[in-house]
Amino acid sequence: MMRKKKLIVLCSLIIALHSFVLLRHDFAQQVAQEEKTEMTKEHESQDKIVSGPKDIKESTGIYVFVSWMWLAIVVLIYFLKLKIKEVDRLFEIRYLSGKKK
Amino acid sequence: MSSKGQKMGLRSWLDDRLGVSAVFGFLRDKKIPQHRHSVWYYTGSAILLFFAIQMITGFMLVFYYNPTLEGANTSVARIMTEIPLGWIIRSVHSWSASFMIAFVFIHLLSIWITKAYRKPRELTWISGVFLLLISLAFGFTGYLLPWDDLSLSATKVGTDIPRSIPVVGVWVTRLLRGGDDVTGDTLTRFFGFHVSILPLFLLTILAVHIYLVQKQGMSVPVSDEKKGKKLKELPFWPNFVYREMVVWLILTGILFSVAIFFPPSLEKAADLMAPAPEGLRPEWYFLFLFQMLKIFPSKILFINGDTIAVLLILLGIIAFFFLPLIDSKPAEKKGKIITAAAYLFIVFAVAMSLWSLLS
Repeated sequence: MMRKKKLIVLCSLIIALHSFVLLRHDFAQQVAQEEKTEMTKEHESQDKIVSGPKDIKESTGIYVFVSWMWLAIVVLIYFLKLKIKEVDRLFEIRYLSGKKK
Repeated sequence: MSSKGQKMGLRSWLDDRLGVSAVFGFLRDKKIPQHRHSVWYYTGSAILLFFAIQMITGFMLVFYYNPTLEGANTSVARIMTEIPLGWIIRSVHSWSASFMIAFVFIHLLSIWITKAYRKPRELTWISGVFLLLISLAFGFTGYLLPWDDLSLSATKVGTDIPRSIPVVGVWVTRLLRGGDDVTGDTLTRFFGFHVSILPLFLLTILAVHIYLVQKQGMSVPVSDEKKGKKLKELPFWPNFVYREMVVWLILTGILFSVAIFFPPSLEKAADLMAPAPEGLRPEWYFLFLFQMLKIFPSKILFINGDTIAVLLILLGIIAFFFLPLIDSKPAEKKGKIITAAAYLFIVFAVAMSLWSLLS
């Protein structure tokens, strides 16, 4: 039971953190819109445009997103492993009972 | 009515109209054999995952992309600099194309080596080779769309290759370019191929391919088939699907991480009159063919070297198509020679690609 509770708390924390980061990130994007239009004009005179975060705010947001994504993947894989164990056990039981008949 | 009752009501309503319970019944009854080569079964659904990501990111990009001579490069620059997270969407689209083609190669090579194309799965193989060619065509047409110096020159070289084919060569080159040279018409044409004609072909052949895979079931290795022993099996739904989900999650994580940390850059807009830039190279999946054409002698016994090279490539593609028919006795000596040819092909392709990268 304790383990389940801990997992629920961990998942809620991840979701809350994620929503907070994305909201902040979106806001930062809107504020930076005008600056970016200027940036495109600037790039037109350049030879090469290098992709990547435009400022430290976006860069931090990206790092948080990647960390969140991997954390979410690890949690989901953990749940999926439990499900796999469960369905394999069910299949095995059905398989054995089928054989007995 | 309770929520369970409502759910059952909706289910039976849908079932009366669509017959979905028969599909779920089929998926539950479908079994996946377990053996030492089972890992290759996951490559098929990985390709579908990357294709789905390509479709979603492609839809997002097409809202901002402008397929004209004046607008192509500028619109890509705008996606990368002005559109919120546009550079990530473009990077994910570009990287998922590479991942998808890599997995198509792995999928086909694993089938070649395990001889999963043997009777009665010949048509599944042929449809798979069609899907490989369409995927490569997606890559080739997509490469021109940013309209920078490198993509223009690579397309000039690429569309010039069919010219060496006797009789129809010039016509094929003109068809691809929409004229004698690579121009704005070529760009519009490639965009049309990339977003409408190729997806239509791919979805149609993919439907046939999936139908054939479901109808024939999963193939087992020749060695296990020869022994005749009953292999352990897993139900497709939900046991195998859950395992596939784990693979999808890991691959999605890798794709996004690579796309975020290694995004593609954009060169300045292509100049039609400018000479080809130095270090001209196609995408990685064409490198071995590019290097092969490069090292071929210009003349062999009064015949143009390019013509012989292109005809050899065409012959190779035709042989690849009809591999299940050529490999008619997979368990015998002939079959072992064909397996050895698969390993030789891998060594040849890797060596040629490395040579091209290092030279």
